[in-house]
Amino acid sequence: MSEQAQAVAPPVALLSAVGIKKSFAVGDRQLEILHGVDMQLYAGELLALMGPSGAGKSTLLHILGLLDRPTSGQVFLEGQRAFELPAERRAWLRNQRLGFVFQFYHLIAELTALENVVLPAMIHQGRGAYRRDRRAHEHKAEELLVRFGLKDRLTHRPTTLSGGERQRVAMARALFHDPPIVIADEPVGNLDSATGEKVLELLFEEQARRKLSLLLVTHDERLAARCQRQIYMDAGQIS
Amino acid sequence: MFRTFLSWRYLLVRRTNLIGIVGIMVAVGALILILSIMTGFLELSRVAARASSADVTITPFFADGEQQQPQPLPLEPSPLLEVLRKDARVVAASAHLTWFGSLIGDTSISSQIFSQGTDAVVRLVGIDVADEFAATHLEEFLSSTPLRGQKVADPKNPFALPPGMEGGRPRPVIVVGDSLMRTHGLARGDVIKVGTVVFNSKQELESADFECIVGGSFRSRENELDLQRVYVDRTQLARFLAGLRSQEDELPADARTYSEILVKLADYDRDGARICSDLKQRLVSMSVLHPFSNIETWEQQKRVILGAIENERALMAIMLSLVLLVAGFTIFAILSMMVSEKRRDIGILTALGATPRGVMQVFLMIGFWDALIGATLGCLIGTWLALKIDPIERWLSSTFDFQIFNREVYLFDYIPSQVEPLRVATIVLGAFVCALVFAMVPAYRAAKLDPVDALRNE
Repeated sequence: MSEQAQAVAPPVALLSAVGIKKSFAVGDRQLEILHGVDMQLYAGELLALMGPSGAGKSTLLHILGLLDRPTSGQVFLEGQRAFELPAERRAWLRNQRLGFVFQFYHLIAELTALENVVLPAMIHQGRGAYRRDRRAHEHKAEELLVRFGLKDRLTHRPTTLSGGERQRVAMARALFHDPPIVIADEPVGNLDSATGEKVLELLFEEQARRKLSLLLVTHDERLAARCQRQIYMDAGQIS
Repeated sequence: MFRTFLSWRYLLVRRTNLIGIVGIMVAVGALILILSIMTGFLELSRVAARASSADVTITPFFADGEQQQPQPLPLEPSPLLEVLRKDARVVAASAHLTWFGSLIGDTSISSQIFSQGTDAVVRLVGIDVADEFAATHLEEFLSSTPLRGQKVADPKNPFALPPGMEGGRPRPVIVVGDSLMRTHGLARGDVIKVGTVVFNSKQELESADFECIVGGSFRSRENELDLQRVYVDRTQLARFLAGLRSQEDELPADARTYSEILVKLADYDRDGARICSDLKQRLVSMSVLHPFSNIETWEQQKRVILGAIENERALMAIMLSLVLLVAGFTIFAILSMMVSEKRRDIGILTALGATPRGVMQVFLMIGFWDALIGATLGCLIGTWLALKIDPIERWLSSTFDFQIFNREVYLFDYIPSQVEPLRVATIVLGAFVCALVFAMVPAYRAAKLDPVDALRNE
């Protein structure tokens, strides 16, 4: 089989993991966290990844998000063997093709809500290109934030925002480049149920509207039940 | 784009960065200020050393016995001066007769000098006033405002008797250095004795002294010269050294009447380097100078002091550069702290698509801003202070009634300061390089952070 043919994954899966293993050195021995995980995230799919704490969900998520390298196995992103690409290309994929929503929001404290949302564009473009497109970027970020109910919070710093507002800013940032895939790691795990519900509604709305592939990590079975498909992980394996 | 934007934002929001900026600013400002003052001092010393010397000095060798040339060389300076004055490169030449002596004696002033136990050894320099004015800066020295002494009554005629001393017993008039006058409590019109040893007719050394009148002081700004030099008329000194005590006695033919010739050149920068060997060859071939004689430019004569001046400046620059290193360490400490605090941000940036190189550049740029702002402010403040240090010191001294700079100690009536653009540029560049080098280590550490670890850092 030619090299090019090898690099092409099944066409239906936007993101897939094949035989993913991950181990860490603990003292003299290797501690294996993931034991050959296979999974697929299809185009437009809303997939819930469930499992108890310590099952290896976050480790798998980091590998799928190209933030951590597996010990063995392959991650296919839009048909490309992601970890065989140069680091710069993987950084570009994280910027353009993936969106992240974290449990603890992970906003940059020194930037306003609007600046946090346009940060992916700043990272993507050089100074000249960004200056040229700046108004367009800010307009787009503003639209997103307004849609998420943050019209009056554009110039607020994260420390002056509530938990729900921060998570909505983080969602706007994840969606800024219109990525086909969003990875959300317990996006409402740090919010009260009412606020969490509102945030989820927004996220599901955007997923449906944009036909996103959304991989949602959650402990909440009710929330998982609202997803099209659920996979369970235990002791480093998909069960 | 995010590198510039984020580094600038971190800089503005994180106040600890101000410490780094202030550190660089103080280091650059202090370096510029202190080196400018040092340069001012040293340049003034150099100018003083230059002013107290002629462009070229000829020190003749007077041979006797077998070292005599085919015919004896003249002991009188006129033939040599005549040849020199015909040289197109020479503007003027003046003969010196130099001898050593000490202030001694039984006059009240001399007794006072002795009783103080201070060193009153002086260098007697016999000169011809007109020639000396033409060849050296003596006229200027006589006219400059003394710090400690008293000017001569008539700078054009320094060996004239001071007002009120006319009509007394004829005695030579001497002009003493500014510092010498103050150190030994002399005043214009004082009668003092100068003692020395001379060769008698049997060529044996014997002690001798002469009484003279202090005509006033000169100020060359070179402390050693102002403390030791005593000008006297050359003919009078030659007669005294020849043992003549009566005005009627004629100077014997074998009496030495000069010990060096000072030469002023039309263009020192053009001719200074080559003229010494040219002149020597010419003067020796014309039998007016012995081949063992020495001809040196002022720079060759003062090479020890000039070398010391340069060494001092270099040492000061090295010592002050340590301040810059301290500022660099401050930046290193602040950025290291920031990298630890910003672990999570580093993870976020990586998740959003930043490369490790981009992350490194964010922190390098913080070091760059620290250096840019600190060095610019330090450059402006340091240069302004260096240019205004004298009025600032005077204002501080008068406001707080405390003398910061003792002008008498340094013999300068102002704080000299010379801002050299090249040196300032070097300091600013040095600050930049230092800041960036010290910023590199924490920036590299930031780039090497595992984004997964960084994101778990909650």
